[in-house]
Amino acid sequence: MALDRFNPLLRTNDLVQDLKWDRDLRARFEADEAQVLADYPLSDEERTAIRERDFRRLHELGLHPYLLSQLARLIHGTGEKAGTSQAATELIRSLLGDQYESYMAERGE
Amino acid sequence: MAEISLALAASHTPGLTGWFDKAPDEDRRIVRRAYDAIHQAVLDSRTDVLLVIGNDHVANARVNDYADFTFGLAERHTGPDEWFKPWLRVADYALPGAPDVAATLHDQVRDSGRTVRAVRENLRFDDNLSVPSAMADLPGTGVAVVPVLQNCTVPPVPDERACYAFGQALGTAIRTALPDGLRVGLLGSGGLSHEPGGPRYLEIDEEFDRWWLDLLVAGDHERVLAEATFERMEEAGSGGTAELLSWVVVMGAIGPRPCTSLGYSAVDQWRCGVGAVQWDLS
Repeated sequence: MALDRFNPLLRTNDLVQDLKWDRDLRARFEADEAQVLADYPLSDEERTAIRERDFRRLHELGLHPYLLSQLARLIHGTGEKAGTSQAATELIRSLLGDQYESYMAERGE
Repeated sequence: MAEISLALAASHTPGLTGWFDKAPDEDRRIVRRAYDAIHQAVLDSRTDVLLVIGNDHVANARVNDYADFTFGLAERHTGPDEWFKPWLRVADYALPGAPDVAATLHDQVRDSGRTVRAVRENLRFDDNLSVPSAMADLPGTGVAVVPVLQNCTVPPVPDERACYAFGQALGTAIRTALPDGLRVGLLGSGGLSHEPGGPRYLEIDEEFDRWWLDLLVAGDHERVLAEATFERMEEAGSGGTAELLSWVVVMGAIGPRPCTSLGYSAVDQWRCGVGAVQWDLS
């Protein structure tokens, strides 16, 4: 799992960049995410994955991993708690699926 | 002829400014010492213009139209970009640019075979420039800065040999096309091991990091290029560790030389191996 699934034409890449670059769009996303997703030229598959916070699916569809981490921050915030922010752990929970609990236990977290 | 006055590389990670105090005292001391040494080296070398080469983090172009290298031509470089402020927690800064130097270098290397852009407007800077600026107090040195943002993560990524060749072209351009007496420094900004947005987001590959630093200290660039390939970097943390390609650009510009490690620290909470080196230019 790395850069091998990356698809430069996947529009979610553009959406995450626009959310970072456009404060107004970000405010609209926070207030009415469904409307922003409906208005943006995404596929239904992308909209569903974003709505369901299915980061693994977004990775598989071709969202760049760095933008994936930024989407997790957009959704879960930037607060840091002892180095493992909620954004990072929620992202890993989705990426690892069934293996998440054992992975985190092994790390002692 | 201008002269390369200084060659450095150092990590950047939001943790160094955003949550520095999560690390143990000893790690904080190591990292503080390294960036203090960088600050002092900029002053001692009487560097006029510092090129900061660093990963763009997909912040200045669409992923379907992505340059390999982007020169910042602004009169002043300001940051951090608004989106990163709550994360980086650094004071707003303004670094003097060097538009003429940037434009000349861009002109010299734009036919190097890579996609090379020059941008007159202020670029969006995240930790790539903001962390070294804050940690090494670059504004306090008075040095002018030319940012050279780089594609380390958007396939197809210019690999280690492409980056080394770009560095060679950049070094030649500095030595032959810039005004006599100008003292130009190089700072590679990025790495060490980390995997932002991947399943190993919380991990640091300390073994790789120490191996990499030892390899650089030894100074055999052909061996570095043969062994520390882009693929090897990806194995040590996908989409992040290859920011070390910025160090490779610096190595290309100065040619085979040993360096001194300024320190290394692996703190999980920073989510990135943190190290720095200074090359011996004597």
